[in-house]
Amino acid sequence: MLLVKGRNTSSNVMKVLWTLAEIGLKHEREDIGGPYGGNDRAEYRALNPNGLVPTVIDHDLVLWESNTIVRWLAANHSLDRLCPADTGDRARCEMWMDWQLSVLNPLMVPVFHPLVRLPEEDRDPAAIAAAAAKWGEAWKIFDGHLADNAYAGGNSFTMADIPLGPLAYRWFELPIDRPNLPHLRRWYDALCARPAYRANVVKIGLV
Amino acid sequence: MLKILGRNTSSNVQKVVWLCEEIDLPFERSDLGGPFGGNNEPDYLALNPNARVPTIDDDGFILWESNACVRYLVEKYGQDTPIWPKSLQDRASGGRWMDWASTTLSPPHVPVFQGLIRTPEAERDMDAIARARDGFSKAVAVLEWWLADHAFLSGDDFGFGDIPAAPFVFRWFNLPIEREDYPNVQRWYDAIAARPAFKKNVIDIGLQ
Repeated sequence: MLLVKGRNTSSNVMKVLWTLAEIGLKHEREDIGGPYGGNDRAEYRALNPNGLVPTVIDHDLVLWESNTIVRWLAANHSLDRLCPADTGDRARCEMWMDWQLSVLNPLMVPVFHPLVRLPEEDRDPAAIAAAAAKWGEAWKIFDGHLADNAYAGGNSFTMADIPLGPLAYRWFELPIDRPNLPHLRRWYDALCARPAYRANVVKIGLV
Repeated sequence: MLKILGRNTSSNVQKVVWLCEEIDLPFERSDLGGPFGGNNEPDYLALNPNARVPTIDDDGFILWESNACVRYLVEKYGQDTPIWPKSLQDRASGGRWMDWASTTLSPPHVPVFQGLIRTPEAERDMDAIARARDGFSKAVAVLEWWLADHAFLSGDDFGFGDIPAAPFVFRWFNLPIEREDYPNVQRWYDAIAARPAFKKNVIDIGLQ
């Protein structure tokens, strides 16, 4: 049995749960991290010394880093669908997965964290607005890509869309000013039409 | 021939250049970014709208994000080399350290490296550098944990999963900072430093 350790309110855990739902793979999950704690315990640190979620146990493999887990599951269980079989097509997917880690996620944190996880009196509205504007600049890059591509990885939905999806939900649902990015909107609407995205991202909400 | 766009003083360019030499893949590199500029010009932005380096051009196939470039090149041209783990599981396990280098190792290293190497002494915020150094050390401690039981990040042998972390660890050992004792990281780093392609493309470039 595949075991996912991590609370389902983490955008990084959402990536894994959404992937599992797209594949239709049975699994168990334990709430760890955030309000549940447990990620500082010795037995968790023995699996994942970063103390972050998720960690996945798949038979004798203990894996962390959410995008690595998505790649592993897609390559192992969904080759030629979520994971393109062609090296170049797959590389284009991995480029956007890496971009989510290196560019988009760091810009999301100073918007999401204060608006959702800080009491209103502790927020700095000017700093949040400035951070949201910078985040929007990054989304504009992806919007440009989507002007010529239906999805991150090209013509069809792939693993490349998955790391971006939970962040897109936050982008469209947080109370911030958003530039008009029509291609991004169309792509997001397509994600929202997927039951696995709705169940594992949209329904969880902003927490 | 493969083209690599980006100055060789960028740790992200170094990953790709080093990988190419490990698998004997010929390439041409052009200086872009940093003091060379050019990365905000329309012809570069048309290839890479992020305006960062590197970008690769493999006979018209354009790719950016350095780790994605490493994965692509080794899969396309290096599957018969020793740095390509044969099983999907070993590639996933080693490959996690590539993501980890981006999410966990690089961010705390940036203020330390930028502050000490690319900022004039009079403008350095030594408190911020010290705080970032503590975070950098905490990340290196995660490497120590893994390397206590494994010769390399990729497992028993050096693999492409070892590449992205190594230029940052070079900086850990060579920046003028306080360093905790991490004996297994030292052993791993010594093994990496003995590789001619790493020496040429990372160590000999130095801290710039």
